[in-house]
Amino acid sequence: MENTHTDKNFEQKLKQLQDDLIKMSEIVEKQIEIAVNVIKTKDSQDAQLTQNLDEQVDVAERDVRDLSFEIMTLHRPVASDLRLVFTALKVSKELERMGDHSRNLAKRATSISSTFDDELIEQMYSLGRNVQSMVNQVLDSFFKKDELKAKTSWNQDAEIDKEYKSLLKNLIERMHNKETSVVDEGTRPILIAKSLERIGDHATNIAEEVIFNITGHYIDLKKSDFE
Amino acid sequence: MVEQVNSFAIKTKNVSVHYGNKMAIDDVTINFTKNDVTSLIGPSGCGKSTFLRCLNRMNDVIESCKVQGEFLLNGVTDIYGDSIQVETLREKIGMVFQKPNPFPKSIFENVAYGPKIHGLASTQSELNDIVMESLNRAGLYEEVKDRMDDIATGLSGGQQQRLCIARAIAIRPEIILMDEPCSALDPIATARIEELINELKEKYTIIIVTHSMSQASRISQRTAFFHLGKLIEHGDTSKIFTKPDKEQTNDYITGRFG
Repeated sequence: MENTHTDKNFEQKLKQLQDDLIKMSEIVEKQIEIAVNVIKTKDSQDAQLTQNLDEQVDVAERDVRDLSFEIMTLHRPVASDLRLVFTALKVSKELERMGDHSRNLAKRATSISSTFDDELIEQMYSLGRNVQSMVNQVLDSFFKKDELKAKTSWNQDAEIDKEYKSLLKNLIERMHNKETSVVDEGTRPILIAKSLERIGDHATNIAEEVIFNITGHYIDLKKSDFE
Repeated sequence: MVEQVNSFAIKTKNVSVHYGNKMAIDDVTINFTKNDVTSLIGPSGCGKSTFLRCLNRMNDVIESCKVQGEFLLNGVTDIYGDSIQVETLREKIGMVFQKPNPFPKSIFENVAYGPKIHGLASTQSELNDIVMESLNRAGLYEEVKDRMDDIATGLSGGQQQRLCIARAIAIRPEIILMDEPCSALDPIATARIEELINELKEKYTIIIVTHSMSQASRISQRTAFFHLGKLIEHGDTSKIFTKPDKEQTNDYITGRFG
């Protein structure tokens, strides 16, 4: 077990910072889960829920920022404490962007026509599920300080990118073939896929921050490291 | 790695110190790079001041103190050997203490005393130059130039400490040891001394004992953490304060003493 600070006030604030991040992560994970479901259900109430959750995410990000600032000003953290505060600031920013993408993709998904191709819906949904799993894993690695898990989740992004490119190729091919149900949607499905792919990118950024928090180094990960 | 003997102001190896039967330093090996400021940190009783005092044989006067190990000045001169007199050693390795300790004499006499007894000036004019240059380097000259004959103990605490630094550098040392030089000073006087340390490192190697972690991180290029007489970790200050190798170091500098 980690030794505790002699300064209990400092100790309490560091714990509060972690608790704030856990709370923020839980909201964003929920947002992504709902948004991915909306791809299939097109439920506008759920899409609205992602919008409402996004407001909570913005508040949570401000809380993390303000508390980090207070800790740096009043307690001047060093070593592992400094890395935690630094990581918390960066992770909260990545989470906030993930929240924005979830809200946008859910809103767009409600506008997709019910005649839109089932196979493409399935492909988008599958991409969404894999992104969701990656996000869950990387956040788990942060709170458990699990370096291996962070690296593994970082590596998942290659699969996400592959899936995204395949989906894009499929969409463009169908547009070329003038499939009405695809052409009528315009750029909407592409933007949904792009939002999912971007959430994956933010998750890889978090993985890099997790590794920094644990090791003190930003390492240049190579995709082959954990294949 | 090829070791450059001359890049170290002081090299030590397997140093152990006992006060009677009590071990104060346990097998410490550490080298001090020239023109670096090295901070020795650690809780009270960890041995950092004892170690510092070994470097210019200040512990010689303590009868029960037994020093073992190797101490080399500039990589060659055995600090405890016959080839160097203690007086000559202290000419090369000056010291500034926790509490400013000016002699109860004039400001001029405080600085002039060392050069006089070490024969560093052959004329009064040379002596005047040394005193002025030393006070200048210690950042005190402008404040005292019109009252050089005033008694030194009338100066403020911060000025007295800078006078002690001027007194130390007047004998042209290569190394300056400082034992908590700011612990009796207010933040402004402390900032002035820290600024001075930063300027002095251009010419001197500085080894400083400090209880202030933020001071160590501000002024030193290297930091050594002592605990229970052992050297736990020694490395670049930026690394020690961001990602120390040892858990014990991390716990100490983050304030996890429990």
